[in-house]
Amino acid sequence: MDTRSVKLKYVKLGYQYLVNSVLRFLPLPVMAVVAIHVARVSPEKIVTVIESLHLGRLQVTCSSFLVVFIATIYAMSKPRSVYLVDYACFKPPVNFRVAFATFMEHSRLILKDNLKSADFQMRILERSGLGEETFLPRAIQYIPPDPTMEDALDEADLVIFSAIDQLLEKTGIKPKDIDILIVNCSLFSPAPSLSAMVVNRYKMRSNIKSFNLSGMGCSCSLISINLAKDLLQVHPNGYALLVSTEIITPNYYRGKERAMLLPNCLFRMGCAAMLLSNKRRERQRAKYRLLHVVRTHRGADDKAYRCVFEEEDAQGKVGICLSKDLMLIAAEALKTNITTIGPLVLPASEQLLFLFSLIGRKIFNPKWKPYIPDFKQAFDHFCIHAGGRAVIDELQSNLELSEKHVEGSRMTLHRFGNTSSSSLWYELSYIEAKEMMMKGDRVWQIAFGSGFKCNSVVWTCNRPIKATTDGPWAHCIDKYPVHIPEILKL
Amino acid sequence: MGEVAYISKSTAVSSKTVQLGKLYSLSVLDRLMENHHIRMVYYFRSSAGMVAGDLIRKLKESITEMLVCYPVVTGRLVRNDEGKWMVKSNDAGVRISEARAKGSVESWLQKVDREKELLLVYWESMLHKPYFWSTFYVQLTIFEEGGLAVGLSCSHLLSDPISASTFIRAWAEIALNGNILLPPFFHPLPPRRLPINRAQEKPNTHFINGYKSIIEGLNPVQAHNVKTLTLLFTDQIAQSCMGLAQPNTNMGPSPSPFQALAGLFWVCISRVRGERNGLMGLSICEDARKLIGLDKGFFGNCMVYNKVDGAGVEPNSISQAATAVGEAMVRMNYEGIMGLIEWLESSNGQSPPPSMDGDDLICINLEDSDLYSAPFDECLEPLHVSCYVEPVVGRGKVLVLPSPLGEGPMGRVVMVTLPEDEVVKLCEDDLIKRIFSPIILMRA
Repeated sequence: MDTRSVKLKYVKLGYQYLVNSVLRFLPLPVMAVVAIHVARVSPEKIVTVIESLHLGRLQVTCSSFLVVFIATIYAMSKPRSVYLVDYACFKPPVNFRVAFATFMEHSRLILKDNLKSADFQMRILERSGLGEETFLPRAIQYIPPDPTMEDALDEADLVIFSAIDQLLEKTGIKPKDIDILIVNCSLFSPAPSLSAMVVNRYKMRSNIKSFNLSGMGCSCSLISINLAKDLLQVHPNGYALLVSTEIITPNYYRGKERAMLLPNCLFRMGCAAMLLSNKRRERQRAKYRLLHVVRTHRGADDKAYRCVFEEEDAQGKVGICLSKDLMLIAAEALKTNITTIGPLVLPASEQLLFLFSLIGRKIFNPKWKPYIPDFKQAFDHFCIHAGGRAVIDELQSNLELSEKHVEGSRMTLHRFGNTSSSSLWYELSYIEAKEMMMKGDRVWQIAFGSGFKCNSVVWTCNRPIKATTDGPWAHCIDKYPVHIPEILKL
Repeated sequence: MGEVAYISKSTAVSSKTVQLGKLYSLSVLDRLMENHHIRMVYYFRSSAGMVAGDLIRKLKESITEMLVCYPVVTGRLVRNDEGKWMVKSNDAGVRISEARAKGSVESWLQKVDREKELLLVYWESMLHKPYFWSTFYVQLTIFEEGGLAVGLSCSHLLSDPISASTFIRAWAEIALNGNILLPPFFHPLPPRRLPINRAQEKPNTHFINGYKSIIEGLNPVQAHNVKTLTLLFTDQIAQSCMGLAQPNTNMGPSPSPFQALAGLFWVCISRVRGERNGLMGLSICEDARKLIGLDKGFFGNCMVYNKVDGAGVEPNSISQAATAVGEAMVRMNYEGIMGLIEWLESSNGQSPPPSMDGDDLICINLEDSDLYSAPFDECLEPLHVSCYVEPVVGRGKVLVLPSPLGEGPMGRVVMVTLPEDEVVKLCEDDLIKRIFSPIILMRA
């Protein structure tokens, strides 16, 4: 590193310390001046000033009551902190494993009349960043797959109940204690709903507030968090159980359109169950405390609305069509989201720099490079939805993150594939399994979804977290991180 | 086909990744068998409370555990720089299909023939792109009124019938107990133990000559319309056959059931064909693992063809025929087999013959293979095992297999594959029909 950039680095550090500390140290000189001034005035003069106010006993009492009353109203109206008590991620059994070579052979056998499409799938898989141990449900592993609704319900049973069982065991909560239930699964919505399935299985209370979110894409987990947070304000002192999953079985694309073949290659089985609460007594053992939720919807723009679209192809086969502008639209949505979340989380130094850069571009020279705030100063850990290698690469370059910051996302993509809305929780689990999570660390979970949405949630770690023997990474964490080649030659 | 309905096809992969990209070379004995394949069917009776879905699930889960030990089976064939086959370990897996058959397994066994039996074990020949072709294929057939058939077909390039049977056995052991008693190992054939001392030992060129004539010989005539006859020789019948094979018991050790049965069928089939100049040509095929110092865990081809000298054997004499077979078996020694392997390795660059059957009747000795001792589950009882080494060209094939449990140590099952008309005549042959009358398990 040459001396110039080292000097610049120290200048920047100095600037940051100064600006961020100014508010802390500003009151000191002011207090000093007031104290000196008061000390100069003699005690008799102070007593005379107080007597001149003619304060009677009644006035004093009423004033004190008023102060206490205002203080109580203030304390009660402050929103109560929402805690993430714990969460559990589903780890599929080993005989659901899909090896690359097997996937490719199946692809060639199923698409034997469209070998070009089979080759296209092969090229996607080689560059996808997925590993050899991702999981697909049994119904999709047949040649050719012919999934039925019963297969889809079996998959839902397996993934959802395994995750919830694990979570209930970890937290010691009984199903009858759950006040709010939110299940999100984008592409499978039977009647009765998946949330009704959960209520039935666990015999939950009849006054449970249950919600089933479908069609909201890969960022739905964070939407559920938002909903749970708002509900817990209205129903304080409660437990909210959230389940995020994507049921792969009914969504296998049986056609040959290239734009629709991508989800077959990338989507894999997964599920996460989370327990949120705003009970005071969970403050001790909860893992995380919720700080901010920021939701951005770009649906008003037609291009953004159509960029991830479920439709029928020319042969009438239903699939999810991904447009070529996906990355551009994602970048736009990201910009909007970070513009909103920036002021909430960035330290004053970064905000000022951003402001100066903005003013400069508007007034002086529009050709100035826009200043990208350094989010590494605001957050210690990043959970970027593992939607695909391109998504992680894009965010890494846009936010100027290092490999270490995106390690959780890349390794989750490698180990579990794109598990849709639950992938953020596998990533968080990775960070915990690597024992990188310290008390007070801030975590940023960010996900994109169809619509086009970009949602962010910020947590702060509430207590020290040790690696455990359970969890989806328990038996393989020592193998990670692995090097993922650009193109995997099979 | 109304009898067997195919339900689904998928691929079983190992539960853990194995060393990806590792290349396994095939031995000279493997490469000769390129144009053959093996098909085996294991029949089980199931107890009344067995749920078909649970059993299939258990079998599919246990095969993924077992395949961790078989990277050669889950890999795929590639050609090396010299154009020779190798196996690349890529985790692609084994094709596994499910089927349903009408009736119960017992009723099926009573009326099955070759054509029907082969419905229980699917086989597809090498695809245009062998890298996407599964060398092993497993079929699980549930009989609607009770029973299970497990069919295994595999390319003879990678395995002989002994290894195929240990593959099924390993699977059954994992399903039943959770571990394999004799895990497989994949090494090249061992080199010669001691240096050749040509001055002292007379080299045994018997095997080399036999193989030379097959490899360099004319393409055998494709046998049309073959049929298979399966006969059960109970302990008693087999012993009387052995007695006939050696009327004078003080002439040496008593013949093995294989020796006696080989002699019997050699004589009968020659008669059926109307051979006038003595008996037809016969080659026996035996396991050479023990002789060259390998145990049953060696996975690959290690069975050697051994031409029997039929000169001077009277056409109707079973004892003389059995004696000739015995002499051929004795001639199989370490020196002979190592000489054969070395000769094959030195004459590199030869493409494999279209068939190893040559011009002879082939008699394959599988009597020591362990086919019945490990059912997959406590609710299953092994009933019968069939084995085919396909295709059958030339004069025909006789496989001598062990008999099901309960038939005694000398009991044997013999599967005879011949052209259709010869099979019919064989059933009517006096020796077989009247003197021995073995139980006919499967009519042609």
